[in-house]
Amino acid sequence: MDENPGLSEEYRRASPWPLFVALGLPIAELGILFGLVPLAVGGLLLFFGSIAGILRENSYVSSTWRGLAALSLVVVALGLAIWYWDGTTQSDLLVRAYSVLGTGVLMLLAGVGGELFAQDAEPTL
Amino acid sequence: METTGQLLLTVLMGAFLLGVAAFLARVEDWRSYTPLGAGGGAVGESGYGHAEKPAGLIRWFTTVDHKDIGLLYGLYATIAFVVGGLMVMLMRAELTTPATDVLGSATFYNSLLTSHGITMLFLFGTPIIAAFANYLVPLIIGADDMAFPRINAIAFWLLPPAALLIWAGFFPIPEVIPAQTAWTMYTPLSAGVGNGNQMNVGVDLMLLGLHLSGVSATMGAINFIATIFTERAEEVTWANLDIFSWTILTQSGLILFAFPLLGSALVMLLLDRNFATTFFAVEGGGPILWQHLFWFFGHPEVYILVLPPMGIVSYVLPRFSGRKLFGFKFVVYSTLAIGVLSFGVWAHHMFATGIDPRLRASFMAVSLAIAIPSAVKTFNWITTMWNGKLRLTAPMLFCIGFVSNFIIGGVTGVFLASIPVDLVLHDTYYVVGHFHYIVMGAITFAGMAGIYYWFPLVTGRWYQRTLAKAHFWLWMIGTNVTFFAMVLLGYGGMPRRYATFLPQFATLHQIATLGAFMLLVGGVIWVYNIYVSWIEGPHVQSGDPWRLDETSLNTAEWDWFDAKRETSLAATDGGEEVKADGGEVVDGAPADDAADDE
Amino acid sequence: MARIFDRDTLLDLTVNVIPLGIILFFVVAFVLVDPFGGLDFYGRVLQMGLLVFPFVALAILTYVSGKAIAGDEKRSPVFFQGQATMEGAQTRHEAEADIEAADEAAAAATAEAEAEAEADATDDDADPDTTDEE
Ligand code: HEM
Ligand SMILES: [Cu+2]
Repeated sequence: MDENPGLSEEYRRASPWPLFVALGLPIAELGILFGLVPLAVGGLLLFFGSIAGILRENSYVSSTWRGLAALSLVVVALGLAIWYWDGTTQSDLLVRAYSVLGTGVLMLLAGVGGELFAQDAEPTL
Repeated sequence: METTGQLLLTVLMGAFLLGVAAFLARVEDWRSYTPLGAGGGAVGESGYGHAEKPAGLIRWFTTVDHKDIGLLYGLYATIAFVVGGLMVMLMRAELTTPATDVLGSATFYNSLLTSHGITMLFLFGTPIIAAFANYLVPLIIGADDMAFPRINAIAFWLLPPAALLIWAGFFPIPEVIPAQTAWTMYTPLSAGVGNGNQMNVGVDLMLLGLHLSGVSATMGAINFIATIFTERAEEVTWANLDIFSWTILTQSGLILFAFPLLGSALVMLLLDRNFATTFFAVEGGGPILWQHLFWFFGHPEVYILVLPPMGIVSYVLPRFSGRKLFGFKFVVYSTLAIGVLSFGVWAHHMFATGIDPRLRASFMAVSLAIAIPSAVKTFNWITTMWNGKLRLTAPMLFCIGFVSNFIIGGVTGVFLASIPVDLVLHDTYYVVGHFHYIVMGAITFAGMAGIYYWFPLVTGRWYQRTLAKAHFWLWMIGTNVTFFAMVLLGYGGMPRRYATFLPQFATLHQIATLGAFMLLVGGVIWVYNIYVSWIEGPHVQSGDPWRLDETSLNTAEWDWFDAKRETSLAATDGGEEVKADGGEVVDGAPADDAADDE
Repeated sequence: MARIFDRDTLLDLTVNVIPLGIILFFVVAFVLVDPFGGLDFYGRVLQMGLLVFPFVALAILTYVSGKAIAGDEKRSPVFFQGQATMEGAQTRHEAEADIEAADEAAAAATAEAEAEAEADATDDDADPDTTDEE
């Protein structure tokens, strides 16, 4: 395969993350909508983990761990929001709130832990 | 029971994540060969055959190259088109008899109807346009790639899950049935109210899938806007931007305003269905609120679908008329006008809802105004061809078919925009005829024009001319037979969205089915032709296979193609490939004469 | 600004003036005829807003885009669509000059040199009948 000679040879044209960002989102949505804890947790991890990977790849953050820690705040905020909504509707949203919150905390721990203890091992997730 | 289920899910999810981790670890290996960085830096030796991308299947799963992504969009859209097409063939077969003799159940018919519409609009229409835009816009405007290549890849990869969710109801999953809401998803039916079966999770899955496709379209749109604004080559000023890029820019603007609104409305609907909110309940926002939100998205959506095809026609048609496009700037300004006005007409889909007649009149006014820019374009295309040196190649035939069908679709549309006419024809087959003249007769035709026109650019090969002509004529006749019969059915008062009908409509329905089978045959020919030619079609003989230089109508993407050919010929020592080229002929003439026409 | 919106550009923009005119027509008609009558103030605002909003938005977009396109036309060379980045592509100006030259040569059968001098002197702006070309 010969791609446009002379044009943009200097660009790397592959990244493993986009596929998993795109898989993580629907899995997380399904999990949260139907209250399926494993899907919610796994989907969120996949989604935000891959975003952290992209941020690292772009050099927007200096390590994937840091990206993960920063993004965990978004997840925690989402969990808190669902927790709040639980109070405002008749539907029981607690399981969903806890799974999202739990995922956020997990990500935060992984991010902080990785940053402290696994400096040279870049996580794959 | 409940716990075993959750346990199973946990195990599955865990295994899946492990698999992902393993895959990423493998890919990391490859990554260690090439320098990391924000897309910058020199490319090292990768150990694979290609300097910028890994080899094999992994290349396609990890690519962020706009051309690869364009091809992925194209493949995806083709698959969706085949699925949606087969669905509608079942429906047309059912409609050969007044009772439900063929499918046996109106429920199944309704499911097919819903899926056909959504598949064609969201999984075929939007993606096939994205295919052209991804591949061509950066080449034409002289950009290295899209502004955000990774977001581009994410936008594409959201689509396969979207399709799976939208079709989920048809898969043999226990307790999940397909949605039967029609593509408009009107509440209260779609909110699962009443004794019907639309509370089923199949509907939720479909709504989620639609939501995903909306996220995808929005991400793509942001990318195109950023690319066209910031990545143009220096020479490509606003005055030099080509018409296709203009339509993509306008379309992206429309997507940016329309799709997030659809997304929000879908979320509200999901909340109503699952968490007892009352956005669309009678005691809350009311069912009509859905119609306003949906059509505020929905009308711009029809222009989201038609503007880029108009761009393709405006770009390709002059090449085979031996002329520059007549009134280029008229076409640009009218594109922008359509973009703005399309947000002011949504309630023309709601004339019959008991909306205040004084407000209804305002919507009619803007709907009539929006017909002008469309008409202006039509006149420009006709004037371009007038007295031109027409070359009736396959892409040109499809362009002419586009213009012809668009006129019928547009004129029927203007009549619908007139309130008194609409009150008679609303919800009849006339409407179905109107919009299919546009979505099939125009949008899909332009897509085919683009596919045939750029086929040599993408593959370096020729398609089979005779098959392409057969495809065109089957489709041109098939489209008009099918959809004109529908217009007549509408005049007769046949309501849309029914699996059964009164015997008096049988003849016209059978004619429509006949036309649909012509479309099917044409479609099969098309798929076969593209597939076979891609693999073993004769190589093109020059960097200007359509011989556009003769009329000074060559364009940047063919220049790129020419350069690419020359480097690759030089790289392979020329000899071998050239010999193979010379040995192959199309229809007895040298390959390049395929550009000619009989 | 007056320079950017010269006669040619205004002529190009007429294409959007027509829909604006249609909307305006209905605004006036609804004020004069007031179909169905009896709208309260709020209803009147809605009825007119539905017309005025698209009108204003279209007018603004037409102005902005006209300014961008016509401005770039004045600032830098104009090519035919899709040809700007091509090597050795003719600018619109050159192409028009060529056509002019050919016409002159054919019609008057004068010496080529003369025709070319003529063409060179041709000014983009002084050439009203080519504005519709791409
Ligand atoms: C020339 C300008 C056009 C006008 C004035 C127009 C007008 C209309 C009107 C008034 C309706 C509503 C009919 C009814 O349900 O009673 C309608 C329906 C429809 N139009 Fe158009 N149309 C135009 C162009 C288009 C284009 C370009 C497309 C597609 C790209 C399109 C696609 C549709 C669709 C999909 C529907 C059916 C919606 C449904 O399911 O109810 N129209 N059109
Ligand atoms: Cu509409």
